[in-house]
Amino acid sequence: MSLAAGSAAQEAPKPAKRQRPHRTGLWAEIAAGPGFMRVARSDNDRVITAPVEGGFLRLGGVISDNVLLSWESAGFNDETFGFGGGDTTVAAEMAFVGVTVLWYPGRTGWFLKGAVGLAQGTFTVPAAAQADTVEGTGIGMSFGGGWDFAISRKYAFTINAAAFVTAIGDLVLPSGRVDDVIGTMYQVSLSFTFR
Amino acid sequence: MHEPRSSCYLGAVRNSFLIAVLACAAPFGIIDAQVDTTRPLARPVGVDTSIPKRAALAITEALSINVLVNRVDAWALGADWARASLKSWGRNIRLGWEWDEDGFRTNMFGHPYHGGLYFNAGRSNGLSYWESAPISFLGSWTWEYLGENYRPSLNDFFMTSFGGIALGEMVHRLAATVRDNTAHGGKRTWRELATMPLDPVGGLNRLMRGDWRRLGPNPPEHDPGAFVLRVHLGARFAKGFVIDGLARLPVGVVDLVYGDPFLRPYRAPFDAFNVRAIVSGGSGFNVLRATGRLYGKDMNDRSRRTRHQFAINQRYDYVSNPAQSIGGQSVEFGIYSRWSIGRGDFGIRTSVFGDVILMGAIDAPNTGLGERVYDFGPGAGGRFQLALERRGLRFLTLFLQGEYIHAVSGASADHGVLFGGWELNVPIVRGLGLAIHATNFNRVSHYSDPAANPRTDRRYFPELRILAVWTKFGFSPAQ
Repeated sequence: MSLAAGSAAQEAPKPAKRQRPHRTGLWAEIAAGPGFMRVARSDNDRVITAPVEGGFLRLGGVISDNVLLSWESAGFNDETFGFGGGDTTVAAEMAFVGVTVLWYPGRTGWFLKGAVGLAQGTFTVPAAAQADTVEGTGIGMSFGGGWDFAISRKYAFTINAAAFVTAIGDLVLPSGRVDDVIGTMYQVSLSFTFR
Repeated sequence: MHEPRSSCYLGAVRNSFLIAVLACAAPFGIIDAQVDTTRPLARPVGVDTSIPKRAALAITEALSINVLVNRVDAWALGADWARASLKSWGRNIRLGWEWDEDGFRTNMFGHPYHGGLYFNAGRSNGLSYWESAPISFLGSWTWEYLGENYRPSLNDFFMTSFGGIALGEMVHRLAATVRDNTAHGGKRTWRELATMPLDPVGGLNRLMRGDWRRLGPNPPEHDPGAFVLRVHLGARFAKGFVIDGLARLPVGVVDLVYGDPFLRPYRAPFDAFNVRAIVSGGSGFNVLRATGRLYGKDMNDRSRRTRHQFAINQRYDYVSNPAQSIGGQSVEFGIYSRWSIGRGDFGIRTSVFGDVILMGAIDAPNTGLGERVYDFGPGAGGRFQLALERRGLRFLTLFLQGEYIHAVSGASADHGVLFGGWELNVPIVRGLGLAIHATNFNRVSHYSDPAANPRTDRRYFPELRILAVWTKFGFSPAQ
């Protein structure tokens, strides 16, 4: 009996390895979506929040069945930002470039992501004669998650929710110095993914 | 607004860490690392396959570490910063990240050690290096937002997470070489106890699973293939430790090389790493530098007399003495090469690497707000090393390393560092020998704030070390 069972088990065809439900080979993802930006500084506890529009582009490959690695570039923009109370005249742009790891814990399209890289913040302050642009460059990181919804073997829609942290250092504005600026963007986006 | 946070919980662990490193240098630890040439190649390296993967338990342990540390600090040590509440959680989430004002040692060594506890909750529950890394981030994030009533600190998050991964994997492997699942009796127990300061989470998990007594095969990390342990004792002569004078101080240097990039093909992160620790009079524990191979790819045939290998390394640097403080978390990319001399035992090795500093820190006299006297920032650099060696044992080493750090917290500044020198090791008898290390640390800092004085600050710190050295090494043919 046990021999027969053993033999049957040996002869049973191996189940075909299921296709990975997410991305394979070289893949790309382009996204856009709304969010909000929160800017903190070291010289006081005041935090400025503002709505932003943003998007990102990821180009990546596959490390293993569960881990993907990509280059990611993200940008966020708010034309009505202000460091002072009631001020909405500053155009703020935050950018992030870095290396992103996507981790798919299971065989669904659900994933977590983490990224680290460089960040840049550009603040254009209107002045009487001409606009004054102040830039800061520093460290960026990002965390979040998402879900790939396959629409065909090669394409998917992806929903992402992520936070981008950009630490860009001191900014010297016409109105004074803003110390150790850290901007955090929270974004929900919809992507089109070539996989 | 920026009070330094208490570091009491870190005090004991960081002191015990050094003792543990030195304890492992004793004949008890690394020296007995067995080179097992019978292990089947198919077994994945870097994961102890005898332990089932328990991700949920690993996460629970990481979060429990936070609760335990927080409650000990709040109840036993009366630390105000540990009195977290729903109100402080809400405030932290509302206000978000800031830079903290803690001391250099707390931020650059204490937090990475703490992160190693989270990471090893994963490693000791059967998870791989990559699977344990998110646990380090999770533990750090929850600590920063929920474990303290201060705003979450961005520098702590980086140092705890990335530093925890580097130190955690290193101590995990180091502890695995000390533990021996084939030993029994008192010797076995002493080995387990000796690893507790290094890898307390792994040790406790083994204790709870009954692995302190159970006989079985050793995990792959037990067998590094090759190792070199050097313990130096002597004197250092350093300029700049005291104002305009020459300091003469006792010094101890421990070098450990685990694995050899050319001995075995790349199989798992940190299958080859090296670490240096320095203890010195006047500044105590003042150097811990570690570099571990994250990825390696042979660039030519492994049977060639001249070998080249592309590698990606994770690097951890901590240097803190009266003259200079610099440290950070980096990733470097470059090429290891080895040219055989004569029959092949002797060779010249070179390393040419470029690096990205994810977050660095350097002392800066013109640091801005708060009590902190050093800056944080990202950076980049490179290093070159040339060594005359036999089977991984280096006799003469020349090295040069340059790094640039752009400050994003502290002063508005750009810092450049050039560190170079040579080290000579002369064997005399039975593993004993003499060593001379000559180094020069140059730095230049440019401050963009017109009020800074001076705007450009240049300093250099030459140093000479004369040391007696004891060497133990092991080497096995490639599997």
